Amino acid sequence: MGVLGQREWDFLFRVSQRIVPEAQRLGPDGRKQFRAIAEEALSERPSVLQRQFRLFLAVVRYAPAARYLAPFDWLDATRQDAVLAWFQDCPLGLVRKGFWGLKSLVYMGYYGRAEVWDSIGYRPDTRGNERLRVVR
Amino acid sequence: MIEKELDVVIIGSGAGGGAVASALGPLAAAGARIAVLEWGPKLREHEFTGQELEMARRLYFDRGGMLTRDLGMTLAFGRGYGGSTVVYTGTSLTIPPRVVVKWNVPGLDAEDVLRRSEKVLEQNNVHLLDEALLNDNNRLFRDGCRRLGWAVEQFPINVKGCQGAGLCNLGCPNAAKQGTHRVQLPAAERQGVKVVTNCRVERVEERGCVATVVPSPLGELSAWEPGEYRIRAKAVVVCAGAVNSPALLLRSKLPVALPALGLYFTAHPALILVAQHARAITNHHGHPKSFYCDQFARTGRFLLETCMYFPFTTAKSLAGFGAEHSRLMSGMDRLQMILVLALDDARPENRVTLDSRGGPVVDYSLSDRLLDSLHEAMKASARIFFAAGAERVHAPAGQRFLIESSERDRLDELIPRSGVKPGKVPIAAAHLMGGCRMGSSLTDSVTDCWGQVHGLPWLYVADASLFPGCAEINPYVTIMALADRVAERVAASVGKN
Repeated sequence: MGVLGQREWDFLFRVSQRIVPEAQRLGPDGRKQFRAIAEEALSERPSVLQRQFRLFLAVVRYAPAARYLAPFDWLDATRQDAVLAWFQDCPLGLVRKGFWGLKSLVYMGYYGRAEVWDSIGYRPDTRGNERLRVVR
Repeated sequence: MIEKELDVVIIGSGAGGGAVASALGPLAAAGARIAVLEWGPKLREHEFTGQELEMARRLYFDRGGMLTRDLGMTLAFGRGYGGSTVVYTGTSLTIPPRVVVKWNVPGLDAEDVLRRSEKVLEQNNVHLLDEALLNDNNRLFRDGCRRLGWAVEQFPINVKGCQGAGLCNLGCPNAAKQGTHRVQLPAAERQGVKVVTNCRVERVEERGCVATVVPSPLGELSAWEPGEYRIRAKAVVVCAGAVNSPALLLRSKLPVALPALGLYFTAHPALILVAQHARAITNHHGHPKSFYCDQFARTGRFLLETCMYFPFTTAKSLAGFGAEHSRLMSGMDRLQMILVLALDDARPENRVTLDSRGGPVVDYSLSDRLLDSLHEAMKASARIFFAAGAERVHAPAGQRFLIESSERDRLDELIPRSGVKPGKVPIAAAHLMGGCRMGSSLTDSVTDCWGQVHGLPWLYVADASLFPGCAEINPYVTIMALADRVAERVAASVGKN
């Protein structure tokens, strides 16, 4: 088992789809890659940070109950986005930093896959100067 | 434990270690036993793949994202044969003499640093790129600055046979960048210096150190067999960088009190800023970093530089998420980027300490003054972007995700200082300095002006941790210049013993 249990992973993937909407269209292979990247990155972090991350995920999941009387999963997309925006702008610095960590993991899982690069206009070429000459 | 007897042991092979190894080459050629111990591997050419996550894992500590204790900033520093010189962009500036004067280290004069810097520029084939090889991302920055009447200069860079892969920060796949892995280390090895890779130094001991060689699935075989080593040497030169050098000395329990060890750590806290153009521009092809603007170095305490990053790094550098973030990311070929470097003062509370396992922990507080600089830099960058013709700009502290060009006259209102919130605004740093600073007093320095640790005539430091304050420029040339000084003193002391 990795750093995250299956339920935590399922929740992280639901949050991921609000952070990168295109993640909804990932097929089984894409999801597998996404998870492998995220799991590997988490597994290399100190155990204290891993515990903090799992705790933060739980906070994102259940904190909305204080306002909406329902956990994150039960909210519609608009409210889920409002919850995430609150975390991003939270007056508490530690919460903002936690949200940045969560976002970064999601971006790593999604944009770290070479499969997505062409579709976003990222086309590196080891002979880049030749491409410059062609454009001109 | 395997015993080794050497004349000089150099810990780390980046700008500092490489320069020391190269300067001591003639000593090795004359029969001295000199070894460089490098934590990371020496990658084979085909292992420079240009893949973002793969290379970050291979070439950086913590994939380039070591977190400060309060999680407010990430720190990027390299590991492997050549250290951080494998992953910088090769920009080669000499330190302004006024900064050396400001450092106020008795015995260190600007003229000597400049003379040694010239030697580094010569060794590393430093030159300006031809106009024809400048891509749109760089030209737009230059043209935007000029339209605003702001000072803009071209970076000299240390490449040979650059093919414009644009992947400098992931290790050049064309072997063009003239880091210590291409210049100083091979030259030193030709003269008899041994470079031992995959070798982690656990601690420094009286005239020596204890290290472990661990096999790596990557790179060439280490010069030494796997195992634990006790190395005896006449001189030990610590060049493990501004995070790992203080950490190594802290866990070494040295026989002298060094109250300033680990303190006065500083950096150029950075933002990656992004603007969108109406059409595709050349940005990922060609050298990524050709110009800088130092218009505000003194008044606003920040520099602006061109840059171009990769998908994950770009995505995590933006504030925001969801559809607007995705829309911006979906057109990477339309993005122009600017790197902001804030010039932060060295303060004793910013420091390197150890965790319970002896690993480094960095405390770094983001002062109001620093956040003021980042705020002003965000607005200045937006002005450059718009002057360069960008349609819209993303400022992480902005009231909304994108600011349209029609709103360019309202930047003060749309990018409020109150929006500069650590965590929401992603802050990273790659130019790490201090922690073993030079000086004359035990209370606020660790070494003398020749890098010799106070009270220990056999122990030296030769890397960015020597800097008493921030360099106010990209630091590698200055690191090498100071390391050259240290090597001169090491050579003299080894010759005497």
